[in-house]
Amino acid sequence: MASAAKRLDVVPGTPAPQVSFEAVTLQLGGKTIIENLSLGVRPGEFLCIIGASGCGKTTALRLAAGLYQPTSGKVNFDGQRMREPRREIAIVFQDYGKALLPWRTAAGNVSLALEAGGMPSAERLARIEELLRTVGLPGHAGKYPSEMSGGMQQRLQIARCLAQEPKTLLMDEPFGALDAMTRQGLQDEVLSLVAASGATVIFVTHDLEEAIYLGDRVIGLLPHPGRIGIELAVNLPRPRDQLSTREHPEFLRLRRQLFDFIKATEQ
Amino acid sequence: MNRAALLWRMASFAIAAGFVALWQLIANLNLVSPVFLPGPDRAWTALVRGFSSGDLWSKLAGTLEHMAYGWLAASIAGIAIGAIIGSSRMMRTYVAPSLEFLRPLPVSAIIPVAIAMLGLTQAMALFVIAFGAIWPIMLATIHGFAAVEPRLYEVARSLQMSRLAVIFKIALPSASPDILAGMRLSLTVALILSVVCEILAGLDGLGHWVLLSARAFRSADLFAGVILLGVTGYVTSVAMSLAEHRLLAWQAAQR
Ligand SMILES: Nc1ncnc2c1ncn2[C@@H]1O[C@H](COP(=O)(O)OP(=O)(O)OP(=O)(O)O)[C@@H](O)[C@H]1O
Ligand SMILES: [Mg+2]
Repeated sequence: MASAAKRLDVVPGTPAPQVSFEAVTLQLGGKTIIENLSLGVRPGEFLCIIGASGCGKTTALRLAAGLYQPTSGKVNFDGQRMREPRREIAIVFQDYGKALLPWRTAAGNVSLALEAGGMPSAERLARIEELLRTVGLPGHAGKYPSEMSGGMQQRLQIARCLAQEPKTLLMDEPFGALDAMTRQGLQDEVLSLVAASGATVIFVTHDLEEAIYLGDRVIGLLPHPGRIGIELAVNLPRPRDQLSTREHPEFLRLRRQLFDFIKATEQ
Repeated sequence: MNRAALLWRMASFAIAAGFVALWQLIANLNLVSPVFLPGPDRAWTALVRGFSSGDLWSKLAGTLEHMAYGWLAASIAGIAIGAIIGSSRMMRTYVAPSLEFLRPLPVSAIIPVAIAMLGLTQAMALFVIAFGAIWPIMLATIHGFAAVEPRLYEVARSLQMSRLAVIFKIALPSASPDILAGMRLSLTVALILSVVCEILAGLDGLGHWVLLSARAFRSADLFAGVILLGVTGYVTSVAMSLAEHRLLAWQAAQR
């Protein structure tokens, strides 16, 4: 499938990438975690990253967020070198319990992002209500995170990220800790949210089916050090559907390919 | 309040009442000379007389003032210094050992130094009270700031929050349970040191009242002062607990 991936990069008139890695290497504590990673993500693209545990998925995402600076190479956003995190890039952490302010209600947590963006307090209330409705939490504005289920807390974190009005949304195994039903519901919600906002998404998961279901493209990382091992274009019709998409022959073919890839990396 | 808590509360009142009864019994039997030990009846009468005709009100106000100023100064300085030390790992490693040296130093050792420098003045009292009361607050603040969830700082970075916003919206609220606990401990320290300073420097307050009553063998007045000090300590700490309860309502939700 390398040919399909290459085609994306070569077609004339393809827009410039919004996020790009140029020969990025990262060392932490004397260990090379990511080596010579090059990658471009088109505006509006939904890119999924998979790989075995410890292969550097989270690290790659943190590089894209500007939370890490590469040891060598460059990470660019909109053609500019990223030197620090920026508001146009929102990151949804896997551990939602740690990423929310326990002393603020749901409304207060969403408000944090609006305050940081300088929105006048008079306009905030309406916007908060709108955002909470968007992520399926209407009527929970006054609840503290500790009074919400895991799924609700993750929705809340997504609402706060949407409040940043990000051009790029980074998601690190956002549904990893949730049960299957909640997970499927949230997958569909994320797809429709992203379709509505036009944001670019980099989505890390170790669920192969989730990656194919959501993505326009799936990248598999090889471990020690982290580098790209496989790249697949997902040519499945949108909008995706939990039943028919997952039964689509193309879906099954891709799943087989990724499965073989993961099995090979584990040897 | 649930049933068990109510029972405990009633039991503690019963025990307090038992102590008062025992005290009355000892006084009535003249086991200790009434010159030194008045019964609760006489102490109560002295208390009422002190408020209605004497200057107990102004003494109480004096002590509360010393305590409040010293405690507030300690709180402001303790939180500010604690925040600076607690938010930087380098500061913690370099400054913490000196703190460990200073902390166990009894405040009473500071009093002669303070008197030598500031004389028997209000300023001396303020300094001593604040110096004694700052430790619990400062150490609690350092701990609270050091324990802020690192993930939240990353959230702040990705929101490009200003330094000041990070302190006031993330670090301080996150450290607030620790800080408030430290402030509650300091309240008692501030009361004790207020009394000590009033006794040593003859400053207007309950400490002075107690001292004068003891010197004049007015044991009922002496006990009235002591009771009032106990009540002051109890009421201020209850008020602080209530404030904590309100400010930390989100923690109750967490459990
Ligand atoms: N700060 C750090 N210092 C040193 N090594 C690190 C650091 N952070 C991560 N690593 C190492 O880098 C490697 C990749 O870590 P990373 O968290 O990116 O993996 P991952 O693919 O997200 O794994 P998982 O699926 O378990 O989340 C791991 O071997 C990890 O031990
Ligand atoms: Mg990870």
